[in-house]
Amino acid sequence: MSNAKSPLQRLNETQSAYLLLLPFLLTYGLFLIYPFFRGVWISLHDWNLLQVAFNPDAKQFVGLDNYVRVMWGRNIEWSPWARPVLQVLGLLGVVASVALNRTRRLTSLTSVALGLAGAALFLISGVHAGEEGRWFDRRFWPTVGNTVLFVGLTVPGVTISALLIAAALNRETRAMSLLRTLFFLSQVLSVTVVTLIWQIMFSPRQGLIANITELAGGSPINWLTDERFAMAAIVIATIWWSLGIAMILFLAGLQDISKDLFEAGALDNCTGVRAFWHITLPNLKRTITLVIILQIILHFQVFGQSHLMTQGGPNDETQVLVRYIYQTAFRDSELGRASAMAVFLFVIMGAFSVVQFLVGREEND
Amino acid sequence: MKHLLTGTLLACACASTVTAQDITLGRFFGACEDAGTDTKASVGEACIIQSIINAADAEIEGVSIETLPTDWGNYYDQIKAAYAGGTPPDVHVMHRHRVPEFAGFGALAALSEDDLASAGIDPADWTDSARDAVTFNGEIYGVPMDLHANLWHVNMDLMAEAGLVENGEPVLPSSPEELLEHARQMKEATGQDYLAADFAQFPIGVRLVLSLMWQQGENIFSEDGTATIDNDAAQAAVETITQLFAEDLSDPQLNYADSQQSFLNGEAAVLVNGTWVVDFHTAEAAKEETGLDNYYAAEFPTLFEEGATWADSHIWVIPSPVKQDAETYEAALKVLAFINEHNVDWARTGHMAVRNSVLESDEYASLPHRTEYAGTADIARDTPPAENYGAIQDVLNRELQAIWLTDKPVADALADANIEVQDLLDR
Repeated sequence: MSNAKSPLQRLNETQSAYLLLLPFLLTYGLFLIYPFFRGVWISLHDWNLLQVAFNPDAKQFVGLDNYVRVMWGRNIEWSPWARPVLQVLGLLGVVASVALNRTRRLTSLTSVALGLAGAALFLISGVHAGEEGRWFDRRFWPTVGNTVLFVGLTVPGVTISALLIAAALNRETRAMSLLRTLFFLSQVLSVTVVTLIWQIMFSPRQGLIANITELAGGSPINWLTDERFAMAAIVIATIWWSLGIAMILFLAGLQDISKDLFEAGALDNCTGVRAFWHITLPNLKRTITLVIILQIILHFQVFGQSHLMTQGGPNDETQVLVRYIYQTAFRDSELGRASAMAVFLFVIMGAFSVVQFLVGREEND
Repeated sequence: MKHLLTGTLLACACASTVTAQDITLGRFFGACEDAGTDTKASVGEACIIQSIINAADAEIEGVSIETLPTDWGNYYDQIKAAYAGGTPPDVHVMHRHRVPEFAGFGALAALSEDDLASAGIDPADWTDSARDAVTFNGEIYGVPMDLHANLWHVNMDLMAEAGLVENGEPVLPSSPEELLEHARQMKEATGQDYLAADFAQFPIGVRLVLSLMWQQGENIFSEDGTATIDNDAAQAAVETITQLFAEDLSDPQLNYADSQQSFLNGEAAVLVNGTWVVDFHTAEAAKEETGLDNYYAAEFPTLFEEGATWADSHIWVIPSPVKQDAETYEAALKVLAFINEHNVDWARTGHMAVRNSVLESDEYASLPHRTEYAGTADIARDTPPAENYGAIQDVLNRELQAIWLTDKPVADALADANIEVQDLLDR
């Protein structure tokens, strides 16, 4: 009887592992790997969406031309004082990383990361169009800048508010569990609903915020069309929308912290804010890192808020990378150029994924 | 009884799906849930067009029409993606200014005079401008539905208060200086703004500036593809508007909905917007609760040498792949013929009809406010054809927004716009 093995049973461990992995690998290859490489391939062509649909031969191989056209310009120069504020900030980052590493207040990896980020800021923000020169695409880098600003405002906003809410709601009463559900609810809404709600909230005519400012005697702000407030408006809507997941992650982290620590702390008169600072925060370090990196990757892909609430305006102040890619591909039909931008976005997000991988590994050691 | 009815309805539905030719229809204009099939009763663009489509679905034998999502904002992106994926709708609406882009790549079916005649469409009945709107390289690529243009929508009560009414008609400015004078007069007499428009998001501001450039005999680019934005005419056109912002006689920060609301609330005497809101304003003016009681739809006034206002046309087209299936093509033509037949119903929105027989009819002449802007067809203008007009308009919209919303110097903005539009024309 023992000889009557079915073909499946005759497989060794490695073979059966591959067999079980096959469905995943196929799906992954078909829906992620293949489209990715096809995107890279398209980015090397002059490829008009409509034209190629009706005549597949209408595309033309142009090498890296799309990348040059998007990211470079005529007479582009580098100088150490092109954007003094950003460049000094970058230099300060380098100095701080060296100093903190010397005094052993930062681990070597973190200080290297900080130093590299500072150096990159110093070098990149020194690039500018020289006299008589100009960028081939004058919208691309400002758009990247807007996206970075959006991420820079949203990620700390979400992280800090979610952390505070999670700390406040980390109690086992009925009211708290109700509040937890309420705070999480916004997360389940689609971007269309969220932007609709906030467009009404921000409306200078019917909006709740305008009514409150008027009650307080102020004149209502045109949030979505005022250059000073438009970015803030989409950041606020995004923070409200994406609090939920971060809060749940923090709650899970909080419940992992042993009660003994707080009891021991209480004996040493460490309660309330001090306990939060000296016990909760250090124990939540890994969760915080995870939340921050997940949020960075997520919010670099912002699209709906800018597209629906401000249409990228006023004067491109809230134009973000994915919206620019979308417009280039579908409004302007320039698929090759759009793919080149998408590859750039991939590189940025890939870099943050690598950081997450490195940070995760360091903490495992 | 109810069950019997439901049963009969279901049976009918099943029977018709078996024999009917299914036609998918793509359009913008927004959603209207309960449009019904009465093409004479509906109000507003969305409901009027949907009632015509519903009627076509009910009345054309052997054809059943499915209307695809009707969102405005991403319409052309969706349509292009559908073409690229090989699944365009069987008939869809588009603007005249998109014809060079779509027809240029062979995306649209050329409709021969014979095909049109056999479906019951007579191109000889179309006005010259309507025929031009659907013609590309000598071939007809669609069926025109309207001519739409910018008007000055006027609150007559505010105008009267400011002393700007004569013989029951509003006194409109004839020069930029007079515009400023009227606006000051309005502020003094009523405390309200003279003019409102969406200067902040939707390209109404662009269309305003375009009109004022055409009125000086200039354009933003020439037929041979040279950008001509950085000149005195553009400067004068922009400053005609910025002089109002500078003295707080108009608010540049209002978007489409807010500018409309401000006009309906009686907070602005003039709203610059298209013909498509005439019937909506008429209906709102009849209501007690709005601040607009006495409404007038005026032609865009001539502030410089010659009359001109921005205009475009909505047209219906059939994608070229549809022609490969004779039955679908024939059914699609029937749908276009039905829409062409109901031109006067569509004109109820406020748009100008495109068929001479309709324009001369009593029914058309008796539509509200129609005589007030009858001359608009004669001053209707558009930019030269360009494949990427969408992107060009976006450049202008951004640079103009930079002027009125972020105080960018006019000369800098015009110079930047010129460079960018030239880049787009050269691509």
